[in-house]
Amino acid sequence: MLVATDVHRHFEGMHAVDGVSLEVPRGQITGLIGPNGAGKSTFMAVLAGTMPATKGTVVFDGRDVTRIPAYRRARMGLVRTFQLSSEFARLTVLENLLVAAPRHRGESLLGALLGPGYWLADERRIVGEARRLLKRFGMSAKESDYAGNMSGGQKRLIEIMRALMLHPRCLLLDEPMSGVHPRVADEIQGYLQDLRRDGLTILMVEHELHFVEQLCDSVFVMAQGKLIGSGTMATLRRQQEIVDAYLVG
Amino acid sequence: MNTYYAANLLIFAGVDIIACIALNLQFGVSGIVNFAFIVFQAAGAYTAAVLSMPPDTAADYSFQIYFGGFNLPFPIPWIGGAVAGALLAVPIGLIVLRNLRSDYQAIALLVTSIIANTVINNARPWLNGAAGLALVPRPLNPIEPVPDSYLYFYIGLTAVCVALVWFIAARIVNSPFGRTLRAMRDQELAATALGKNPVALKMTMFIVGGAIAGLSGAILVGFLTFWAPSTWLYPETVILFAAVIVGGRGNNLGAVLGALLVPVGLEEVTRLLNNYVNIGPPNFIPAMEWVLIGLFILGFLWFRPEGVRPEGHKVFPEGFESGVRVLGDRD
Repeated sequence: MLVATDVHRHFEGMHAVDGVSLEVPRGQITGLIGPNGAGKSTFMAVLAGTMPATKGTVVFDGRDVTRIPAYRRARMGLVRTFQLSSEFARLTVLENLLVAAPRHRGESLLGALLGPGYWLADERRIVGEARRLLKRFGMSAKESDYAGNMSGGQKRLIEIMRALMLHPRCLLLDEPMSGVHPRVADEIQGYLQDLRRDGLTILMVEHELHFVEQLCDSVFVMAQGKLIGSGTMATLRRQQEIVDAYLVG
Repeated sequence: MNTYYAANLLIFAGVDIIACIALNLQFGVSGIVNFAFIVFQAAGAYTAAVLSMPPDTAADYSFQIYFGGFNLPFPIPWIGGAVAGALLAVPIGLIVLRNLRSDYQAIALLVTSIIANTVINNARPWLNGAAGLALVPRPLNPIEPVPDSYLYFYIGLTAVCVALVWFIAARIVNSPFGRTLRAMRDQELAATALGKNPVALKMTMFIVGGAIAGLSGAILVGFLTFWAPSTWLYPETVILFAAVIVGGRGNNLGAVLGALLVPVGLEEVTRLLNNYVNIGPPNFIPAMEWVLIGLFILGFLWFRPEGVRPEGHKVFPEGFESGVRVLGDRD
């Protein structure tokens, strides 16, 4: 589904990502773990196109997307979330979801000038879709609140719902459990399992290893910009180099 | 209050309202810190002037030098002013909005404003340099001095333009397109990751705002009948920013209130105070106007950053998706 080959990302001589190659299989949840500063988020940004690769290729669903800008990769179904909350703070929760909906007739200048008569049917359709998502994620009661006023966990849910509004084929999640209350983290885990059952491909960076263990079909480990191992969590725990680099304890 | 003073006040208010709505679309809704805004108003004014004036070889006009002089009838100069503002936005936008971070965009636009004013001020063969253009024909060439009826007519024309600009701005702000612009303003990278092209969105609003600013310049020059670099120095942009911040960023009605409070209200209060109150050395009160504008901006940013009229909060009623309830607007 998503194949990275010899991906590099350099910053003024600092090799944040140094020749990483991996393949994310279709319909599975793949984990990407490693210590802080390993280059995981930079690698995710390169995959999503929000940061260009210095060298290497990214192929999504058989198509080389290395030189394709992030907004076009998102339209193709390769959608990412962010390590830090990136909600549209001065929009409501519902509006955050509506922004993400693709192919809306009112989303061009001409469409806007033609008025609601031109785009209202699309608006009704996506409001219905967004409300179904809010219900599924238990956030219907918050739809008219400003997204900036939500808790850390709710902001994470908004990001995931927002990404789902795009009907992604591959979701890149950057620490979805980070800063989230344990109860909400368990809920997010349940939602991610549901999404896998729906056939969605997910690549997830996560520090909470018990979530990785329960959720991920396979796991890649990064350290100092390089890929140092891959497999299930059980097999990784048996590799001394990886245990030393990251899995201590 | 005599008719000319009242007309002056109303037409300036109309021009400032149009300018503030345009700046609100760029800065308040889209997050573009356009410190060169006044350049687009000036482009509209100069274009309307050279489209409506006769060639500089004509009798009565030979004391000034300018290119063009097409002697075109109203409303072509006003349309030309709006088109000039839009066209100017294309090269500036392509240079500034594509690769620079937003704070650097603001700096680049401020520098653009200063360079443009300096060049026009010193290059006399183009637009008569520092002396500027005079005897710009008014729309429909009335007899001079203009009768009161013409002033009413001009107020009406300005009001029609205000209504047109309000309609366009309301359509943009209350649409899904406006929602996308606000999302880009709040989190540009996240909007990009959701399939939005921020450069295209910013360019669109830069051009739309440029066109509206150009129209405001055309209206102004048609009333003043002169235009010179001293009328569009970069601090004029600061006044408009103060108006949008005070009125309420992202809210069209806020932009209108801001225009009435800052450029119109503050300047008129200063003018009246200067006539009737004798404080300090000459020009003390007009100079204090700038102190007041600075305090206004700082005060609002500190105590009420959302402005007098904050950005709307859109609530979708129950049953909206099934067509039971209609859509409400933000303003």
